[in-house]
Amino acid sequence: MTDKRQFTLALFYCQNIPESSLPERQALEEAYGPSLKLFPIPCTGRLEPLHLLRALEEFADAAYVIACPGGACRYFEGNLRARKRVGVAGDLISAIGLERERVGLVANEDGDPKPLATLAREVMDRVALLEPSPVLNKKDRQKGDPP
Amino acid sequence: MITAEQKPIEEIREMIGPYKRVLVVGCGSCVAECAAGGEKETGMLASALRMAAKMEGREVLIEEITLDRQCVKDFVIQLDEVIDQYDAVLSLGCGAGVQAVAEMYPELPIIPALNTEFLGETRDQGLWVENCVGCGDCMLYFFGGICPLARCSKQLLNGPCGGSMDGRCEINPDLPCAWQLIIDRLERFDALDRLERIYPPKAWSKKQGRGPRKIIREDQQRVEV
Repeated sequence: MTDKRQFTLALFYCQNIPESSLPERQALEEAYGPSLKLFPIPCTGRLEPLHLLRALEEFADAAYVIACPGGACRYFEGNLRARKRVGVAGDLISAIGLERERVGLVANEDGDPKPLATLAREVMDRVALLEPSPVLNKKDRQKGDPP
Repeated sequence: MITAEQKPIEEIREMIGPYKRVLVVGCGSCVAECAAGGEKETGMLASALRMAAKMEGREVLIEEITLDRQCVKDFVIQLDEVIDQYDAVLSLGCGAGVQAVAEMYPELPIIPALNTEFLGETRDQGLWVENCVGCGDCMLYFFGGICPLARCSKQLLNGPCGGSMDGRCEINPDLPCAWQLIIDRLERFDALDRLERIYPPKAWSKKQGRGPRKIIREDQQRVEV
């Protein structure tokens, strides 16, 4: 299906996730092409709901966050704050009639943390169940890279 | 500071519905502190409104700007350069901010995006409480810094009602009894004798009943040359 190929995920991730340095990121981008846009951030506590909203508004069918496991944030509470902020973004998109599942947070596992590539694949599998976003028209989809 | 909360987005969408070019104006002062109308909230609301319009297939221009203060005309005047491009303003200022913008641009509809609530203290992160009713005749000296008008559910001025239990309010047990707080505090300062006075009913004429209040400070006003 043409629409499935054009589906775009904006994925924000903490740079402390294992195997998430530049070469691994570039390999992922090459593997998924334009359907995956990666945004490394120093800590998911840096994430604001606005980041997710702008991604959904401008190019993404879904916007997700990959955070460190509970209790394992280098800055103590960054991942906990991120979860609340994802909730705020979810409330807002839900209020305008967009599915709440278009935003979400996946926390890495404590003890045996997964590398970025595995987590990214899990998120891609999860959002594949969603229809293309009704916010984005065809012109927006063909724009390619986010601004 | 002045506290506020954002109106439901459905209500906002209904109000801006007739307009094609909307400027969403945030305020970087009180409503930014209470996370209702600062730069972040303004960006989020504008983004959500744009997405909602796209989903409906409506062609609208929704842009945003945040002023340092919306209730001071010296800051509002920054809108002069851009205001002509829009046919409505959606203000995330408090009621004073909305009206200051409306007065500056009488030809434009200025739509409130917030419900202004109360004069609040930031008690903790994400927690604002009403400690002052702005009565115009502060009596905090007599009550040890605890205002019975704002913090006693019955607004009693001459001692507790007799219904408080274990220092909690009988109307709302989640609240401490304001009179318990007043007595504890005055006792600490050895000032319980302040409660021997009889306080007459509050003269509310200093707060309301004569139209909008006004403060004039000649020493702060412009000097005519």
